[in-house]
Amino acid sequence: MNYTDILSPKFEPETTGTTIMAVIYDGGLIIGADSRTSSGQFVADRCADKIDYVHDRIFCLRSGSAADTQTIAKYVRYYVDAHAQELGRLPAVATAANLFRNFLYEYKDSLSAAIIVAGWDPYKGAQIFTLPLGGSVIEQKWSIGGSGSTFIWGFCDSNYKENMSLQEARAFVLHAVGHAMYRDGSSGGIIRLLNVTKDKIEREFIDYKDVPIK
Amino acid sequence: MIFNSELSAQQQHTTSPVVTGGSVIALAYKGGVVIGTDTLCSYGSMAAFKNVEKIAQVSKNTIYVSSGEYSDFQQVVKELAKIDRSALQYDDGVHPSPRDYGNFLARLSYKKRCKINPLYLQNVIAGFHNGERYLALVDIYGTYLESNFVTTGFASYFCKAIISNYWNENCTLDQAKQVIRECFKVLFCRDCRAHDVIQLGYVDEQGVHVEQPERVETKWDFNGFKTRANEKLHTQ
Repeated sequence: MNYTDILSPKFEPETTGTTIMAVIYDGGLIIGADSRTSSGQFVADRCADKIDYVHDRIFCLRSGSAADTQTIAKYVRYYVDAHAQELGRLPAVATAANLFRNFLYEYKDSLSAAIIVAGWDPYKGAQIFTLPLGGSVIEQKWSIGGSGSTFIWGFCDSNYKENMSLQEARAFVLHAVGHAMYRDGSSGGIIRLLNVTKDKIEREFIDYKDVPIK
Repeated sequence: MIFNSELSAQQQHTTSPVVTGGSVIALAYKGGVVIGTDTLCSYGSMAAFKNVEKIAQVSKNTIYVSSGEYSDFQQVVKELAKIDRSALQYDDGVHPSPRDYGNFLARLSYKKRCKINPLYLQNVIAGFHNGERYLALVDIYGTYLESNFVTTGFASYFCKAIISNYWNENCTLDQAKQVIRECFKVLFCRDCRAHDVIQLGYVDEQGVHVEQPERVETKWDFNGFKTRANEKLHTQ
């Protein structure tokens, strides 16, 4: 029974039960996410955008409570903006990751949020930082998160290669997210991709009929 | 019908289902009854079993589908299939009617509900007998309702409005099937435990016809979906 009445003792908050993924390739990084926001068994939003803007070349992928992650992302966006104005140049991805980390760590008992921070900066190039539930920060070459990620660890472990080309990385993300959406009830809809490089950001919308696995 | 768990000292209580089937929608049309269901069995939130054909033919003119715990559904199919065979003992040429199956299931469900060991199911029984359509819903407690249209699970929330607006009890088979397909499109978009491959089955004067699974077409390439990207919310 789906309880959406907030006063009910079994209220299930809106979460991004989800599949999110980021992969560094030779020249930048690719971010991918599904588009389903669920509230218990109900699909509250079937076309959500889980790739949140933090700065021109820094993005975050949100999983866990939608309310928690949206609020934290809003704060971090504000802090990074102020910082970048003072700095006069692009901020470091590690800075954004650290700001997220401070929230997740200090309020770890109250929050249900896991975030992947991915972006490009002029100091160290493309970077991905995974911030799981407790507030740790782990830098990785590729990262998957959300409830759907449990279904694709094997796929990703077997298929990830260092220094992939853009086409290989895009295919890797597309198939991985597709496989996760195929099996996870809390992930679904369309796939949103984002290619982040030094020169540009490219968004891509993969319609449901073009998802590799159905 | 005695379950093994009731014979042994250990009492089993099915209070939480493990493998579950999705919504069922059934509509009467002019000349019969059609049932639609999707082909997915979920294991919690995982879409574990994807090509499950859930429309069971229990006799020459009766079909049975349910949503809820899949093992309970399989057990009920076994028991309902026995009824026709055991009726042969009377050797009078009389076969149980669809209503007999519906009533049996209602009594069984109520008995198990009273022992706090329910069949975790919402059952739909459809049939055609002596020129009359039959459609009934039996829920987890044994509540028995005959009706011209029946929905279980999430379909009860999302699809009754669609059915009210586009269906009437004297429509054609194709019209009824189309209404069911539209309902499953909505369910696929809005129910986490739904799948877009469905199966339709209908009973009419000629008997039971169960069709091959088919995929329903849903639309995702709206302009608003595509351009709804977060950096446009921030003026940079």
